[in-house]
Amino acid sequence: MKKLRIEVCSGSECVMMGSMDIIEAIEGLKQVKQQLKLRAQIEIVPCKCLGPCKNENLAPVVRINDELITQATGDIVMSKIIAAIKD
Amino acid sequence: MQGIYTSVTKIRRQVFAAVAKLAYEHDEYSSIEEIPYQIIPGEVATYRNSVFVERAIIGERLRLAMGLPLRRADEHSALSKGVEEAAVPKKFFSAPLVNVISFACNACPTNSYEVSNNCRGCLAHPCTSVCPVKAISIVNGKSHIDKEKCVRCGRCQQACPYDAIVHYDRPCAAACGMDAIGSDELGRAKIDQEKCVSCGQCIVNCPFGAIADKSEIFQIIQSIKQGDKVCAAIAPSFAGQLGPLATTEKLHEAFKILGFDDVVEVALGADKGAVAEAHHYAHAVPDKQPFLATSCCPSWSVLAKRTLPDLVECVSESDTPMIETAKVIKKRNPNTKVVFVGPCVAKKLEATRKLTAGYIDFVITFEELMGMFVAKGVEFGDLNEEQPLDDASSDGRGYAVAGGVADAIVNNVKAFYPDKEVLVDRAEGLKDCKKMLMLAKAGKRNGYLLEGMACPGGCIGGAGTLMPLNKAAAAVKQYQKSSPYNLAKDNPNIDE
Ligand code: FES
Repeated sequence: MKKLRIEVCSGSECVMMGSMDIIEAIEGLKQVKQQLKLRAQIEIVPCKCLGPCKNENLAPVVRINDELITQATGDIVMSKIIAAIKD
Repeated sequence: MQGIYTSVTKIRRQVFAAVAKLAYEHDEYSSIEEIPYQIIPGEVATYRNSVFVERAIIGERLRLAMGLPLRRADEHSALSKGVEEAAVPKKFFSAPLVNVISFACNACPTNSYEVSNNCRGCLAHPCTSVCPVKAISIVNGKSHIDKEKCVRCGRCQQACPYDAIVHYDRPCAAACGMDAIGSDELGRAKIDQEKCVSCGQCIVNCPFGAIADKSEIFQIIQSIKQGDKVCAAIAPSFAGQLGPLATTEKLHEAFKILGFDDVVEVALGADKGAVAEAHHYAHAVPDKQPFLATSCCPSWSVLAKRTLPDLVECVSESDTPMIETAKVIKKRNPNTKVVFVGPCVAKKLEATRKLTAGYIDFVITFEELMGMFVAKGVEFGDLNEEQPLDDASSDGRGYAVAGGVADAIVNNVKAFYPDKEVLVDRAEGLKDCKKMLMLAKAGKRNGYLLEGMACPGGCIGGAGTLMPLNKAAAAVKQYQKSSPYNLAKDNPNIDE
């Protein structure tokens, strides 16, 4: 089974800009794994400031395996996860 | 919509951070004029059809966040008008606390029933048969509701086998438990300030972000900058609100960076209240008074006193946890300014009342606090776990979640008076609170302890929170567990 490590930035700027709601979205995705036929282990890791927030308007930030996603939203992250699992 | 992060949430928070930054980093504030351009850059609109409207709305939000009144839309006035006067180290804002930014309002139609595309124009069309006022007819093969005749009883909606009839209400009005939202002459939402109890639910339920409350961030930072001793009294619902890295052991250090001297748990005041109310209940209910209503939620207690003018003495007289905690802080050090940090908009109003004004200097929400942390670049990930919080018991900390206040009081009644039975009823959301009060009025809640919470879920569902409800509830549980004391009465700090 595929393993996916998703780091969600929990630094101040990202928390303010909704990174906890992104965690909610990912957890929600786990619940519909069956319908989506996703066979993977998803690990969510809240982490320290990843850095990009220091440049204007880049928060919130999420890292999936090695890909950094800035200005992340729940829907962007969910679709990235699905894509990463499917290929 | 409350509890879901949207563009509306984002803009609100960006404004708080921008105002905090302006206040911390400048001594002269004319650069406020530039902030709308920083938050809404470029020439193309992102959220609405015009970038100019977007910036104008940011402008009004900035003013409210600084405690200033809205500008009139039909008169020229600079964004920065009054800003220097607002830069004072004391309470500044004046009523109304909750404001509709009229030109941001979409003037949504009010309460109505509409026939949707789901209508199949069926042969039976039971909708027409059940309508008591003959408001439904078949037009072009589909049901049609005559809005003039419709009395909004909803029977057609229940009768339709295709779920084709939808009930539609303005989100702000639907969220308002006080029926305080009407319309201005252009059909836009208008708050009846006589009815409003400032619970703030309309603020977080308007999908257009057209409603906002005033903030005191600007004045708090002025106070910090002039060197005042400032102490944060932090409400128990803070648990989890600042993210997973913000453990309670880091709180003191984080507040120090903001310029605060100390942090005290408001759950300490809740402990005091729980013990006082446990004794009060055991002695007075039902012999001296028919029931006891809790008083910690300000919107609920105002509603209770208004609904039951003859029974005001049944609404607990004990000071709210906020005030009790402030009293302790001021006793320790009379020169300290107290900032209540909570989830709540209504507390801002409670703190302006004559009886309480001497204790609470400022009130901010967790959302506003987060703006201050961002402005100051506080990173919880880089702080050390230095000083645990140990002011309060598990009981007091439980006040954050609906049901927690009643639980705490019941626990302590049981501990003090093992033979006394406690009857409990509780409600969350002002609509349900009202129903409970009507039952009490009719004499159907005699002998009861009544807990009311204006916000769904209790304080963790307050308008000034950042976390989804289930996450917040789990964090509060954890926070309760970490207390060295289970019962409020066992907390030695309450004798202070
Ligand atoms: S807080 Fe997330 S990148 Fe800095």
